[in-house]
Amino acid sequence: MMEHKLILDKVSKTFVDGEKRVSVIEDMTLKVNEGEFVAVVGPSGSGKSTFLSLAGALLAPTSGRTFVGGHELSQLSESGLNRIRLEKLGFVFQSSNLIPYLTVIDQLILVSELSGKEREDAKSKAKKMIKRLGLSHRINHYPEQLSGGERQRVAIARAWMNDPELILADEPTASLDSERGKEVVQMLADEVKLRGKAAVMVTHDQRMLDLCDRILYMEDGRFVKEKNQMNEAH
Amino acid sequence: MFLALREFKHAKVRYLLISLIMILIAWLVLFVSGLANGLSSDNASSIKTMKPEYLVLQKEADQRINRSALDDDLAADIREFTQRHDTESALLSIYMATLTKPGTSKKLDAAYFGIEVPGLLQPEITEGKMFTNESVDEIVVDQSIKNEGFSLGDRIIDETSGKKLKIIGFTKNQSFSHSPVIHMNMKTLLSVKNENTIHAIALKGDKNTAKQVEKNFSGIETVSKSQALKGIPGYQEEQGSLLMMIVFLFVIAAFVLAVFFYVITIQKINQFGVLKAIGAKTGYLAKNIIFQVMFLSSVSLLISIALTFTASFVLPDHFPFDLSPFLIVICSLLFLTVALLGSFLSLFKVAKVDAIDAIGRAV
Repeated sequence: MMEHKLILDKVSKTFVDGEKRVSVIEDMTLKVNEGEFVAVVGPSGSGKSTFLSLAGALLAPTSGRTFVGGHELSQLSESGLNRIRLEKLGFVFQSSNLIPYLTVIDQLILVSELSGKEREDAKSKAKKMIKRLGLSHRINHYPEQLSGGERQRVAIARAWMNDPELILADEPTASLDSERGKEVVQMLADEVKLRGKAAVMVTHDQRMLDLCDRILYMEDGRFVKEKNQMNEAH
Repeated sequence: MFLALREFKHAKVRYLLISLIMILIAWLVLFVSGLANGLSSDNASSIKTMKPEYLVLQKEADQRINRSALDDDLAADIREFTQRHDTESALLSIYMATLTKPGTSKKLDAAYFGIEVPGLLQPEITEGKMFTNESVDEIVVDQSIKNEGFSLGDRIIDETSGKKLKIIGFTKNQSFSHSPVIHMNMKTLLSVKNENTIHAIALKGDKNTAKQVEKNFSGIETVSKSQALKGIPGYQEEQGSLLMMIVFLFVIAAFVLAVFFYVITIQKINQFGVLKAIGAKTGYLAKNIIFQVMFLSSVSLLISIALTFTASFVLPDHFPFDLSPFLIVICSLLFLTVALLGSFLSLFKVAKVDAIDAIGRAV
């Protein structure tokens, strides 16, 4: 049976700007399936970041319902949302946003630390993950010693650390050249398939789109076009 | 404290510098506290360490021993009254005097304490013996006078009367108005001063008895030891200015820490946003900051306590420095409290960080 990792059900978000009400997201409906890697593309100001914030339990919608891994976000308290972000969601930010004073392995252990898990388990899990992403030689390095691609790979490893249902990536290739960017996105795609989870990537990097299963084109707070390339990609 | 410790390790210089400032401030706090305490003892240890808790003074004396003068009859009545109420009491006369050593012209200041023997105000003898009520021209003096070249059996000349007094014993830590105290009986005092006004009556009793005495006699006032200390010329001014320094140091310590952590917190706002986005609670981040502040303050305190003790060994003996463990504990607790207060500004800032700041940012 196909499980939906993310559901947006007629979600709208309006902001009050002075006297005007600005509608950033309008009546958006989206279902992301298990094993699916979705790209959301669109010009600046089309509401991509707001969409990601809504899906990431960082922003409450004005109307509509959001489900992450089967939990309805509007039903949850502030600390409940915190737990969802910690346990069900993984974030990959624009420029990796690693913590500068943590080594590669500590970046991953931190996530377990936050959810109060056993330090030793976290350590072996983190080591495995680092190995799979080809960063074993960097395990005790600080972010400043890594290249942009390596940092982004660590960010992806960090996002997977708590075994989340859904990865949300905010322009993960923004600071990378085409080759590195492709590598990173490929890695994200592979992990989605391997684990049977799902990922949504906001990007305006056209080169990355052929690695995604579905591409949603966004304009003025709506999806205007959808392209399914499930079969082409893999 | 996963984050806190790793951050220390990564940004050693930054935290070492702030620790250094904290060490210096804490050191100064402890040193000035010790100095205030030492000066207070140096000034008036005779009053500070005497057994009786209360002094009966003349009402018009404005709580100052040296201005007080009690009538002989009144003094006798008060003593009779206290005896009836099972309260020990003792007469005290205090005169400031200038002395010289026979054969030299060098002068030194001292405070004469006229007392009864045996009595409540009888000091502890560290060397030699105590005079009696009947002995003539015999005195016991604070051992600091030894530094002036006096020893047991030596004579000392009272400047005004020209009388020679014989040192028959030494006492320890007896000072009044920054001068060594010379104890003598009332008879000797009368012979050198031509008068022996009773300046105060010391009472060994509780507040209740003190109140009773005050109620039953007019023209007098009973004051506690600490009030009497404040009435010693210069005592309050001296302690007040030192206290002001200490208070300022605490305020400075609070601000230095507050500003340091505030600036660092602002620098890390984006990091805190990311941490919150990946699921860190404000409480977790706050705990890390509090741990950092407390850790730095405690380590700085320990080092400064060690430095203070080292300094007190190096200081010359007669330097008025006296730091008790009790005072150290009080200062340390205050210091930590102040440090904690200083971190509140940062905690407030962290609490206000929104996880959404992590999205859509390039830095």
